Amino acid sequence: MRYLLRRVGFFLLTLWAALTLNFFLPHFMPGSPINTLRAQTKGRVSDAQLTEILTSFGYKPHENIVQQYFNYLGNMVTGNWGVSLGSSLGTPVSKLIGEALPWTLGLVGITTVLAFLLGSLVGTIAAWRRGGVVDSVLPSVFVVTSALPYFVVGLFLILFLTVDNTWLPSSGNYDTSIVPGFSPGFIGSVLKYAALPALTLLITSIGGWVLTMRNNMITTLAEDYIRMGRAKGLSDRKVMLNYAARNAFLPNLSGFAMSIGFVLTGAILVEKIFNYPGLGYQLYNAVQSIDYPMMQTLFMLFTVAVLGALLICDLVTVWLDPRTRAKG
Amino acid sequence: MRRSKSSLLAVAVSIGLAASACSSTKHTTDSSGGSSTASSAGGSSTGAQTYKQGGTLTISNEQGQTWPCSFNPYNSTFNLESLGFIYEPLIYTNILQDAKETPMLASSYQWNADKTKITFTIRDGVKWSDGQPLTADDVAYTYNLMKQTPALDNYSLWSAAGLTDVTATGNQVSMTFKQNAQVYFYTFATLVGIIPKHIWSTGDAAAHPDTWTDPNPIGSGPYTVKCTPNNMEYTANPNFWQPGKPYVSKLEYPAYLDNGPANQDLASGKAQWGSQFITGIKSFYLSKSSDNHTWSPPVLNVAVIPNLDPSHKATSQLGVRQAIAYAIDKAKVSAIGEDGQQPPGNQTGVVTPTFDKYNDAAAIAAAGFDKPDMTKAAQALATAGYSPSNPLNLTIISIQGYTDWDASIAIIKDELKPLGINITESSLTNQTYYDKLYKGDFDLAYGSQPSAGPSPYTELRAWLHSANTAPIGQSASAGNFERYKNSAVDSLLDQYATASSADQQVSVIKQVTTHVLQDLPFIPVTESADWFQYNTKNFGGWPTADNPYAQPAAYNYPDNEQVLLHLYYKPAQ
Repeated sequence: MRYLLRRVGFFLLTLWAALTLNFFLPHFMPGSPINTLRAQTKGRVSDAQLTEILTSFGYKPHENIVQQYFNYLGNMVTGNWGVSLGSSLGTPVSKLIGEALPWTLGLVGITTVLAFLLGSLVGTIAAWRRGGVVDSVLPSVFVVTSALPYFVVGLFLILFLTVDNTWLPSSGNYDTSIVPGFSPGFIGSVLKYAALPALTLLITSIGGWVLTMRNNMITTLAEDYIRMGRAKGLSDRKVMLNYAARNAFLPNLSGFAMSIGFVLTGAILVEKIFNYPGLGYQLYNAVQSIDYPMMQTLFMLFTVAVLGALLICDLVTVWLDPRTRAKG
Repeated sequence: MRRSKSSLLAVAVSIGLAASACSSTKHTTDSSGGSSTASSAGGSSTGAQTYKQGGTLTISNEQGQTWPCSFNPYNSTFNLESLGFIYEPLIYTNILQDAKETPMLASSYQWNADKTKITFTIRDGVKWSDGQPLTADDVAYTYNLMKQTPALDNYSLWSAAGLTDVTATGNQVSMTFKQNAQVYFYTFATLVGIIPKHIWSTGDAAAHPDTWTDPNPIGSGPYTVKCTPNNMEYTANPNFWQPGKPYVSKLEYPAYLDNGPANQDLASGKAQWGSQFITGIKSFYLSKSSDNHTWSPPVLNVAVIPNLDPSHKATSQLGVRQAIAYAIDKAKVSAIGEDGQQPPGNQTGVVTPTFDKYNDAAAIAAAGFDKPDMTKAAQALATAGYSPSNPLNLTIISIQGYTDWDASIAIIKDELKPLGINITESSLTNQTYYDKLYKGDFDLAYGSQPSAGPSPYTELRAWLHSANTAPIGQSASAGNFERYKNSAVDSLLDQYATASSADQQVSVIKQVTTHVLQDLPFIPVTESADWFQYNTKNFGGWPTADNPYAQPAAYNYPDNEQVLLHLYYKPAQ
């Protein structure tokens, strides 16, 4: 119980520190929302009027920074996130996030799960048949691909797989000439548009899972109970999956919990390269247009997601492994 | 391994299946409401040819974000989506045809003698898209709401322009100003969209007209709208006051997050109305089809902006500016740096051919700025004490990602190098660039003014009037970034505002440009254009160089409405 309280306390402390950073960092950036608005109004509107407009949307540049900070903390907690001050001036932040969230969850979420499952499977097989074809080719290939940055892989895929945008589309989330709905054409279009960004994420993230799973598996395979299982004459498949992989899987699982936390940050570069309108793209736009409310809310969500995932991971580990419950 | 392979295969197969099973999928271009081809094309008031309705036009105009689906015309962020399509002005003024006026919601207007009071006669028989009649009351309400809620008064009509009273009597609306208000005509008559009182005086709109998003706008314009973040769909307004118009039944306006896909759709013919820069337009777009055309009329200058503040020792010297102005081969920058898509600028700052009337070609030739002259440039630089043996090092700031600017600056750099001026380009993010530009934290900047007016006055006033500048370190965002101060120019510009005839206005502008030639406060290099590409396979009626009835780019409001009222769908005829 004390351990749990300490974890929760630590979570709250980290959250506060992160939220404080999230507040001050954007304010140190050069530029201001007024510049963005001035460009959008083609310079026809005077600065005083621009300030007047922004003020009506809740921008208070002259308010005491401490006061602003406490208001911000309160607003983050109460979910009163305000309206965009950037290129979508006046649109509630919650609405913008609501529009982008499903796309990020769909693309990055599914890809993360897929990379994890595929990677673990490949790692299992590679360790089981050490020195075999799979083991000598795949892990080394994946080490190379996971060392490549997102944007390099993305750009190469665009270069080789999109021929005049006719084969696989390199930009957007669905064909806008199709009316959204549960029609096969629309779903097909969504999948088609997600193919390249998903492939990029898969290629760059699968390597880590393959390597850790293979290493865990090799350690596990040396255990006595594996030899015991074989001696009993159990099928290879059963020993590999039920005896070895099951145990080797545990450390990977906690790593997975963490990477799920990072899903929300939506691979920003990938979304930018493929113009995929998810949260990462929103963050990029918010930073470009110095949209304080949008930036702060997105940073807050990312922080909560990562820290929340870590906390859950901690709690699950406590539940799974009695040793972590000791004094520690 | 087998398993992973087969599961991947399954995914691939299912994608393929789904993609091929499009038969029951609804497309936005499916004819549903738009097929009412047999329209009663009543004679239009202008007596021009009429057409049958039909067709779906796709607009490709990259905005770098998804649509916010807000149409409040007072929120200038959304004017692009609402003005021209939904909301209309009183009078349309065409920058490209010497401020030629087309009456829209006002059928006529009358100034008093000293131009302090204007009376508009509101057109009869105009209806809002919900069927209610549009009256003079609506018009007066539109302007009076700006007084009531200052955040709505985008163009400072009630403060800077000196508006004191707006009253409706019968079908007339009169506006009274403190002083001669003729230079504000473009702003209040052309840029302001008229709103329906019966919608705006109730509910959320009345409580917060400044922050209201107006998600389902009721306007008098040619279209009504249905919006999703990825696409806006405009449908012809059956209540529109010009009978039989608009001829094009439907518009698709997808949100493009990047130039790439927007240009792709234009090249493939999927979109027919384009409004952004296309690199290598000949091979990428024009050669793809004989129906693809481009015409990008210039409206503003792109200039090398020297910092004139005495704290910037080199650029505040006339000799240095003369050397730069004499040396730059504007035609070469235009041809190579801008792909021929932006015409070369001229040193007076008057954009030609758009504002030819105001251009003083003889004065340019007399001052020696009609062609590059390296001898004069070297002499001028020598008076400032610099030469190839004693070179001057200057940094020029520009915006990251503006590749045409980078190419132009590279040419300028090559041309200035033999003189003894070494230019270094510093590419900054948008925000940092404008911060430095406004605060005067630069030696040289490459840039332009954000918007044009009906005559060169708007741009020249922004560049030159000392009221638009500020000390170094403070924001000179109104346009005088270079910190130019000349009381003679100020009083000339003030004279323009009260000039009693068009001839007098031309003469004032010509006098202003004499000062520009003398002092070189900014050095125009090319003329920035309205990016416009169009496809004539299915659609006719586009604005062209021979018939420039409106600024052609889709991002110009309310010019977009004029284009939409001319376009027609060829297969329906």
